[in-house]
Amino acid sequence: MRLTHFQAMLIFALVISVTFAFLSKQSPRDRLKYAIWSFLAFLLIAIGIAWIMFPFPR
Amino acid sequence: MSEESAQAPKHLHLALSFLVAVSAWAVPGLGHLLLRRWGRAAVYFLGVSAFAILGLALRGHVFSPKVSDAFELLGFLSNAGAGAFYVAAQFLVSAAPDVSRAAGDYGTRFFAAAGVLNLLCVLDALNIASGRKE
Repeated sequence: MRLTHFQAMLIFALVISVTFAFLSKQSPRDRLKYAIWSFLAFLLIAIGIAWIMFPFPR
Repeated sequence: MSEESAQAPKHLHLALSFLVAVSAWAVPGLGHLLLRRWGRAAVYFLGVSAFAILGLALRGHVFSPKVSDAFELLGFLSNAGAGAFYVAAQFLVSAAPDVSRAAGDYGTRFFAAAGVLNLLCVLDALNIASGRKE
């Protein structure tokens, strides 16, 4: 099985966001808001860090 | 007599909390299922099993109980948190880990994340069983 870095990050962000929403919030509306917010934060921060790292060679 | 009757439910409550915690650890979501939290049980089972199966499919490293340093101990503890998936990985999965590729390294992290996530779910089930959370 092969996954790109981005696909792996997407799966991780999705599962963690949904699970943490259920762990920390009670109402369905709060859970949905939390899951979306958390997923987008994962995505934006990862892409932001990737852009910061881009100029640096290995 | 009144003390005895007051103590009995407390012992029963402790025993039930212990049963819920062990069930939640052994099979992800089972603790919440016993507490009749159907939605949470399904989400936790799907989340933990997705991570664990993905970790094994990517041929990540599963730490054995024979540890030689602190890093391996942490790896073992995080893996063991996955309960039945850890036992299955130890005894049923025959493919050797391949951490020479990035995918294998991701597999190691995914399986460790499954264990840690399941431990969080165990704590959540315990909180519900003890009445600290709805």
